[in-house]
Amino acid sequence: MISAPDVVAFTKEDEDEEEAYNDPPLPEEYSVPLFPFPSHGANPWSKLSGAKFSRDFILISEFSEQVGPQPLLTIPDDAKVSGTFDLNYFSLRIMSVDYQASFVGHPPGCPYPKLNFVEDSKVVLGDSKEGAFAYVHHLTLYDLEARGFVRPFCMAYISADEHKIMLMFQELSVEFSKASECLKTGNRKAFANELEKKLKDLDYTRTVLHNETEIQKKNNEKGYYTTQAIEKANELASVEKSIIEHQDLLKQIRSYPYSKLKDSDFHPYKPECSLEQEDNLEHGFTTSKPDEPGEMNLHPRRASYTPKLIKAKSTKCFDKKLKTLQELCDLYFFTQTLDQLHQIEKMFRGDICYLLTNQISRALLKQQTITNFLFEDIFLVDERPPEKQSNAFQGSPLDSSDAKYLEVCPAPKTLTSSIAYKSSVESVPIKMDQEIEDTRCTEGSEPIPYDHQDNLGYLDADLKGSVSSGESIEVLGTEKSVAALIQSSGQDGQAILPQPLPSPQVVRSKAVSKRTISEDSIEVLSTCPSEALIPDDFKASYPSAINEEPYADEEDESLRFSPGLNLDHAGEVEGNAEPENLLPADSACCIGKESPSFSHPLPNLTPKLCDDDGVVSIPPRPYRQADQEFRVNFTDYSSHDGVLGGLLTYELDPHYLTSSPETSKMSLDKCSDSTTSYMSSAASTSSDRTPSPAPLVGQPGERHKKKAGQNALRFIRQYPFAHPAIYSLLSGRTLIVLAEDKGAVEKLVTALSIFVPSCGAYSKPVKHWTTTPLHIADFQKWKLIGLQRASSPAGLNMLHSLSRYNRYVSILDADSKTLRCPPYRGTLVPRLADHRTQIKRGSTYFMHVQTVLTQLCSKAFLYAFCHHLHLPIKEGETEESVVSRRLNFLKTHLGLASEDGKVVQYLAELLKLQYIQDPIWGVSPVLRFDYVPSALYKI
Amino acid sequence: MSALCPPPSPAVAKTEIALNGESPLLAATFAYWDNILGPRVRHIWAPKTEQQLLSDGEITFLANHTLNGEILRNAESGAIDVKFFVLAEKGVIIVSLIFDGNWNGDRSTYGLSIILPQSELSFYLPLHRVCVDRLTHIIRKGRIWMHKERQEHIQRAVVEGTERMEDQGQSIIPMLTGEVIPVMELLSSMKSHSVPEEIDISDTVLSDDDIGDSCHEGFLLKAISSHLQTCGCSVVVGSSAEKVNKIVRTLCLFLTSAERKCSRLCRNETSFKYESGLFVQGLLKDVTGSFVLPFRQVMYAPYPTTHIDVDVNTVKQMPPCHEHIYNQRRYMRSELTAFWRATSDEEMAQDTIIHTDESFTPDLNVFQDVLHQDTLVKAFLDQVFHLKPGLSLRSVFLAQFLLILHRKALTLIKYIEDDTQKGKKPFKSLRSLKIDLDLTAEGDLNIVMALAEKIKPGLHSFLFGRPFYTSVQERDVLMAF
Repeated sequence: MISAPDVVAFTKEDEDEEEAYNDPPLPEEYSVPLFPFPSHGANPWSKLSGAKFSRDFILISEFSEQVGPQPLLTIPDDAKVSGTFDLNYFSLRIMSVDYQASFVGHPPGCPYPKLNFVEDSKVVLGDSKEGAFAYVHHLTLYDLEARGFVRPFCMAYISADEHKIMLMFQELSVEFSKASECLKTGNRKAFANELEKKLKDLDYTRTVLHNETEIQKKNNEKGYYTTQAIEKANELASVEKSIIEHQDLLKQIRSYPYSKLKDSDFHPYKPECSLEQEDNLEHGFTTSKPDEPGEMNLHPRRASYTPKLIKAKSTKCFDKKLKTLQELCDLYFFTQTLDQLHQIEKMFRGDICYLLTNQISRALLKQQTITNFLFEDIFLVDERPPEKQSNAFQGSPLDSSDAKYLEVCPAPKTLTSSIAYKSSVESVPIKMDQEIEDTRCTEGSEPIPYDHQDNLGYLDADLKGSVSSGESIEVLGTEKSVAALIQSSGQDGQAILPQPLPSPQVVRSKAVSKRTISEDSIEVLSTCPSEALIPDDFKASYPSAINEEPYADEEDESLRFSPGLNLDHAGEVEGNAEPENLLPADSACCIGKESPSFSHPLPNLTPKLCDDDGVVSIPPRPYRQADQEFRVNFTDYSSHDGVLGGLLTYELDPHYLTSSPETSKMSLDKCSDSTTSYMSSAASTSSDRTPSPAPLVGQPGERHKKKAGQNALRFIRQYPFAHPAIYSLLSGRTLIVLAEDKGAVEKLVTALSIFVPSCGAYSKPVKHWTTTPLHIADFQKWKLIGLQRASSPAGLNMLHSLSRYNRYVSILDADSKTLRCPPYRGTLVPRLADHRTQIKRGSTYFMHVQTVLTQLCSKAFLYAFCHHLHLPIKEGETEESVVSRRLNFLKTHLGLASEDGKVVQYLAELLKLQYIQDPIWGVSPVLRFDYVPSALYKI
Repeated sequence: MSALCPPPSPAVAKTEIALNGESPLLAATFAYWDNILGPRVRHIWAPKTEQQLLSDGEITFLANHTLNGEILRNAESGAIDVKFFVLAEKGVIIVSLIFDGNWNGDRSTYGLSIILPQSELSFYLPLHRVCVDRLTHIIRKGRIWMHKERQEHIQRAVVEGTERMEDQGQSIIPMLTGEVIPVMELLSSMKSHSVPEEIDISDTVLSDDDIGDSCHEGFLLKAISSHLQTCGCSVVVGSSAEKVNKIVRTLCLFLTSAERKCSRLCRNETSFKYESGLFVQGLLKDVTGSFVLPFRQVMYAPYPTTHIDVDVNTVKQMPPCHEHIYNQRRYMRSELTAFWRATSDEEMAQDTIIHTDESFTPDLNVFQDVLHQDTLVKAFLDQVFHLKPGLSLRSVFLAQFLLILHRKALTLIKYIEDDTQKGKKPFKSLRSLKIDLDLTAEGDLNIVMALAEKIKPGLHSFLFGRPFYTSVQERDVLMAF
């Protein structure tokens, strides 16, 4: 420790204080400031404000051989960004040194000029007085007219935060290298074109001179050469030498060493033909290759070039005009480079603390793929190659949601392309980047929610054919009949769609409390707090069991189905093919029971997940990677396995559902609290008939997050019953937001959507707005629904259907400001949604919610995978004691009682389903029936 | 590396340094801007190796390059600017610290640089701050030395009536040598003993079947909690390298991969020296069962440190960031003032002295008990051992825990940013913050604040600095009576 006596012994006091005071004090320039923020008003945010520019920007500068260092352009091209910052001075500073000092020109012993393919240099430097720091990427472009054929350029990322530049050095380096490589490729192409033209000029000049010489020779009768003839001959020799030199240069530029690109993961084009090119070069050289098929086919020929006569005197003098950067580079590549630089500017924009946290979060989220689907912005985490995604969803047409999604789809970081382009320089296929941006946005991301919607739509369509009675008790089927169904579909090969991957069946414990099992008849479920039917149950038996009254406008929910169907649903499709034949319907029963498939696991299809003792014995990993012997023995369905029953005794107040909007005086906007000044008005982005499960919610951009946060913050402040509403969503009970005004509904849905756990990787079960009557299947698909209250006959129909299902769903009436849902008495939601919170901004509140939801996920993960929790520890242990142990665990170790425990149990259930099902498509939404009495909350 | 370098002229003085292990450093140079000749190299330090990767000529060429363009230098008074070069054509990276100083009777620009092969870029980047901080401080001292030498030289010249330019400034070289060698040794030790980027959880305490299997539950809780409260900066000492390293790896689980690369395991045979600025380092006790930490270097660490003794299961921690930074700066000022006032070379050369002045006597007892309990780490440790070891379940759970901490830290920054309108107003609602962000336990707040400090430097000083400085000033005034 420090207090060691040998160190203390060195402690030195000033012996002669008087002498010390006589000395001049230490000059401040040699000292360090005592406080981190010495100047008045300085703080962690303002320390960067000394700079004369408003935010980070990119500067492209050149060391011009005529005027010296000069700025060329800035990105963004807005004078406000660079402000009063002296770009000329800074260009001088960053370009005053040739960091790529390499020999270009005539090296000793070499007869021709030699091009040196110089590697880029990267420099971080600053101007502490100006408060400007820069990452400077030096590169060299070729110009036939320039001194030594080279033009030094640099691209600088200028920021007021030195710390940021160094922390992001590697990322900046990678991104600027890509941009530089793109620019240099375009430059080589332009340089080669220029050389080709020059060679044509020289060739033409040679011909002209040759002809002139021949004429002179013929006219030479005196027998000796005139001065003019000698000059011509010299000129001709000079032109011929020049031709050889230029041919050599062309050869050099065409033999660009692609090995230099090996380290980089970015290739503007693939040098597939480079070897072939080298062979060609070895066998001779032509200035153009009209017979090259690739070029002929893929690259439109340039307009034919008319050669010019080159004068003997060199034009290299200072009155010539140097080429602009754009002229030095092929237009396509130049545009691409600028696009990339714009992208870089966007990528590194903002405070470093957000960039760093984003980096760290990505790294951490990658390690927890199993829970990410619940609440995370999965697009940030997903790093699957785009090809894979596009292959998986090829041919998916775009619908209206795609267009919307494209608006929020971030531009790709890496540009790839499927369109080949032929360079005339190296004659290699070149990737067309602009196309790719769109392609990636659409192919890589959007088709997933689209197809998912299709699946759901398909399921929906199947289910709509059935008839249900809201008042009766339903049974989903018998164990025997469904087993038979599975068997028959498997044996008869009635599958309509290919099913390359077997859908693993969930193995569930048969020991369910209070459940009577009748093997060949209807299974009646008795009272239990709640019942959740996991999708496989539902898929097998639901369609024939629920008898739903048909509605006139049922067709409105049009069927959108593409062949690229969710594989998980393939079985479902089979099962639903002829539901009436498979499952007997009984009007006396209302809610189904477990599918017998859980009692009779299919050993060949079910991979082994657990040890024989039922303990999870392999780490969480996606289903596709699962072992063939994967076997599941989750028994954690305690809260939902119970028998149904206990029908509600109360009826919905009809007036409640049809209440007039006049009763509602307050709109969300009108009753904004003191934080309104921080909040912008939230405009809804949802369409009337959102066809897919809210892709906007599935991938919330920063703006969406902010808006959702703002709306949520308003919601929790304005609605005293926010807690039970949020509890409904977190516990998997569908919440319907009902109002006449679409805007009000959408605001509430946007606000509440952040609390909705996703069921699959690419969708949130949120329907922002619907005007059609709801069916019971909708409650499986959607966990948050925005519903129109209309006074038309269709609207009455809709309200009628709502009143029928009111016991299964929570209803938030935005017009009358009431909520009907089960009560909530926990401590979890108040932490998430405290109306007294001092959080001022929507984005901050969104971050807070995200944090608390991550905590919830963590608890759910622990609960789901805690190895001693879900199975009997000792022989003879009853199911009740296991259940009691689980409840005790929730209470003691996770600090969760009653309702809070249910939330974690629901999330844990989703995790398990995700774990054992397809991780890409996720789990089929759970249809959950809560028989807990609801309460009516009013403001 | 390029051979196209001009020969150095005249020959540059060179110090060859024998290192125990592999040296990633190719050379260090000290160069200055000569108003007639331009950039000149004064001294080269290079590791003693059989195979010389860079010739002296190449080193000189590169060092000259670092000062090129500095004729346009536009820096604040006393600034020490950092330049960082990746010269792919030469295959090197260069880190240069550029500063102005008085030497040879003129104010000129100087550059102290270290040169590494480009292949070491990813190795070096996490250590950049450590190297720069250390070289910056030696430059601060060296600059004073140069200034004083000049004064002495003028006095001597007046007395003797002679001018001996060649003698000037020579003595700064030994001073720089005194820091360049440790930096070389640090990089060498990091090359052989740095903590890997990916840590196998089975090499850590978190792979135990149950909590307390390999170390006491309370000790583990306190160690991790304090480690997080001191921004992930910890020193683990013990008699057994294996035991020390297990704790080092465990603590490193709570760091980012870049921070892990800036952490060092304990060496088996003999202990390394303590190195200021590393995140976690394992140190072996000597035969007497003790390890003496150098006060100055502990003070100069960018963050406060947790001291963990695995032999006696004790955990001590330094004061929080704002207090640490304040003490650090006071000590630095005191040390530089002592340099300024030193009258003899002996006084200036004493590096082991603990400097004091009339206004500041450092508290040597910087490590104190961990006072604040937290609920975050406690809950994590309570829960993680419920998951079966040997699978990746615990890694996933750990990742979730870290994600929660980072998100809390960012939310906290955002909360303060909103509340103070980006620092324009003082922050007065700490109580609300604690309630709103569920950080009512003091330990929880410390952990999240420590994480926030790393991504938003100066947050502690902004939040707690003012009352702290006031109280210190009041105390000092009272002490004066």
